[in-house]
Amino acid sequence: MPIIVAAIDPVTRIEGHLKVDIAVDTVGGVQQVTGVRTMGTLFRGFEKILEGRDPRDAAIITSRICGVCPTSHAQAAVLALEDASGMAVPGPARILRNLVHGACFLESHILHFYLLSLPDYIQGLGMPPWTPGFEADRRVDKAASELFTAHYLEAITVRRRCHEIGALFGGKLPHTPAYIAGGFTAVPSQPNLDAFGAGLDEILAFINTRYLPDVERLSSLYSDYFFVGRGYGNLLAYGAFDQDGSGTDRLFRAGRVVNGAGAVLPVDAAAIAEDVTHAWYRNADSGLHPAAGETNAEYPKADAYSWLKAPRYGGTPHECGPLARMWVSGEYTNGVSVMDRIRARAYEALKLARAMKAWHAELLAGDVTVTADWPSPAPAGVAGTGLTEAPRGALGHWLSIGDNGKIARYQVITPTCWTVSPRDGAGQAGPLEQALLGTPVANAAQPVEALRVIHSVDPCLDCATHVMTAGEARAEGLAG
Amino acid sequence: MQVSRRSFLEYCGLSAAFIGLGSSKLGLLAEALAAPNAPSVIWLHGSSCTGDSISFLNRISDAFPATVADVLTGAVNLVFHATLMTPAGDAAVSELKRVYDTGNYVLVLEGGVPTAFRGGACVVYSLNGQETTYMQAVQEMSARALAVVCAGTCASFGGIPASGGNPTGVKSVRALTGRATINISGCPANPDWVVWAIVQLLTGTPVELDADGRPTALYAKRLSGAAAPSLIHDKCPRNNLVNPGAPPEATSFTNCDGRCTIQLGCRGPFTKSRCDGQWNAKATDPNSPPNQRWRNNWCVGVNANCHGCVEKAFPGPQSFYEPYVL
Repeated sequence: MPIIVAAIDPVTRIEGHLKVDIAVDTVGGVQQVTGVRTMGTLFRGFEKILEGRDPRDAAIITSRICGVCPTSHAQAAVLALEDASGMAVPGPARILRNLVHGACFLESHILHFYLLSLPDYIQGLGMPPWTPGFEADRRVDKAASELFTAHYLEAITVRRRCHEIGALFGGKLPHTPAYIAGGFTAVPSQPNLDAFGAGLDEILAFINTRYLPDVERLSSLYSDYFFVGRGYGNLLAYGAFDQDGSGTDRLFRAGRVVNGAGAVLPVDAAAIAEDVTHAWYRNADSGLHPAAGETNAEYPKADAYSWLKAPRYGGTPHECGPLARMWVSGEYTNGVSVMDRIRARAYEALKLARAMKAWHAELLAGDVTVTADWPSPAPAGVAGTGLTEAPRGALGHWLSIGDNGKIARYQVITPTCWTVSPRDGAGQAGPLEQALLGTPVANAAQPVEALRVIHSVDPCLDCATHVMTAGEARAEGLAG
Repeated sequence: MQVSRRSFLEYCGLSAAFIGLGSSKLGLLAEALAAPNAPSVIWLHGSSCTGDSISFLNRISDAFPATVADVLTGAVNLVFHATLMTPAGDAAVSELKRVYDTGNYVLVLEGGVPTAFRGGACVVYSLNGQETTYMQAVQEMSARALAVVCAGTCASFGGIPASGGNPTGVKSVRALTGRATINISGCPANPDWVVWAIVQLLTGTPVELDADGRPTALYAKRLSGAAAPSLIHDKCPRNNLVNPGAPPEATSFTNCDGRCTIQLGCRGPFTKSRCDGQWNAKATDPNSPPNQRWRNNWCVGVNANCHGCVEKAFPGPQSFYEPYVL
């Protein structure tokens, strides 16, 4: 049978612009994905935009990298600023950051399962924007489908509630102005604390009575997806949600797992480098650590097909996200697959919502959230790193402040850069590319199976700030 | 799920006081939505962060029995929205093409237009194996649209992607096409304002725009239509000219609770916006006194600066944390 090459463009139900080319062939009697290239198709160059600005602006500007995880960027930015300036953060400010960041995590996880993933499995409503649906591989009967659809509609409300409780302290979401170096601008009031607690209880109830049962229902109907979309099994997490002022005790731990097995290894940020062999950047800048990273476009460029750089840890591709986090925390080690990613995300939502209840209980009305301003004279000639987690995985900001007190260099490595990266100079496919290889596809004109794999990693191309179209250089055949 | 066009009308009715719709307008809206040939809505993303879409989901579903689900099922025929739609790839683009051919659509654009690399910094879809850039799509689809709504500051004015060295040559939709657009600026755009614009268009109501293409009804007047302070600072309860009981201006973030932050970089004196109690909660009555009107969420309410995100000058090269100079 001849190889069929199909372009999925746009991949919908993600944030941002993604195109996936797949080659489909029959191997061992099963029609499956035999070649793949994942290509982001948006480039904005936030690093260049930040150069020369007041370093304090980083939280405001980088929030706008992503409307779905703005607080993750704000958090990474203030961590980098505090690392560079030596500023300490009052305990209540740390907690408020956790609560607003946590609210955005819950929003994103609920949005992801119901609005972004579920239409790959159920028919949904018979009108735009849900039509035409996919005909292939429907296994949900009418009663279950109606249940899922009803919960889909509830999820729209609950995800909105997540942002509403976050905005009690954040002012507005997306894009809160409240994260500042050294603290958090909001001071908790009793009415806001009460409203937050009540809203969080509603969300927790939804997770327990809807989200988790729905995920288990889906995973039993599609249990073969515990064996689809594995990829390398290399998992990476920086950790997030500080439990105290030490910077090391985090609700989500940092750690690394190789090939889905063995001990959890420590993460040394010095081992991270970005390969640009197949990305639209000067080859001279390949292999740099992000603290020395460059964003110099070269377009066109031979052998390049994506403007996502390819971050590698010790030269090895890693995926990140809720499964990686739950695995390194020792709380989910069932396997690496489409369905494991979906389940780990749901159980992480439960774990986080419970932790948020405890943090919320620590706060008192009137708690002091800022104890110092940005130093004067302004920090100069210093650098800082902010490592945290976005809902879809490890997020790092690397900042250098020049002698003039302005931003001299800023580099961001987003989770989608890790997971949806292109090939590297060693010929290793990106993690999502690897996960897609071997995925059975019944109808290449409607590759819903490939979409299930893609959606399981929750791509956010808005966050993948380096991305740009491959253009004419993609003429050569798809590599396996 | 019952199709509940009525719920949408209920939404519009309940918010009529806030968005300036009279009962006759609601009748027209009912008529427009009931018509079998009612326009579809196409929503495209360019150099954006999807924040305006997320914001749209946040507000429209608030405050009433109806949620955004009612709007999608009963009121707006949203044939293309990449974040929400089930079909992908060719199936999605076919829907777009079908409606484009009829010309019977309102085009909502989120994100500025990158013009560097011949538009190649943002590709929105492929059709018959041919990539279409956002720049191409905006040119072609705006030419045939009944109207163009820019959701957010990036599509309206370029916004953050167009700032600094503007590495991808981002332009606003208006600057690219030379065509009139209804600019609903804000980072993100407030969903009530986006809904307001779509309702005006569906009812065939002329929209008066200011020099920057923004509806004066949303950015420069009271909701009643009367002249009113449009600058944030001129209606801020932390300004003791507005509220004589307000405490002195803050001089540090360590003493900013409840105080005016103009010395810390607040751009409220330079920002025309109706953020009045409008964020992530049911809108409060805009005709109530300022200290009550602002009881809901907004940036200044959490002791943060207004960053002027609705303005053409946003973000500008100046620090967000130094006193702002126009």
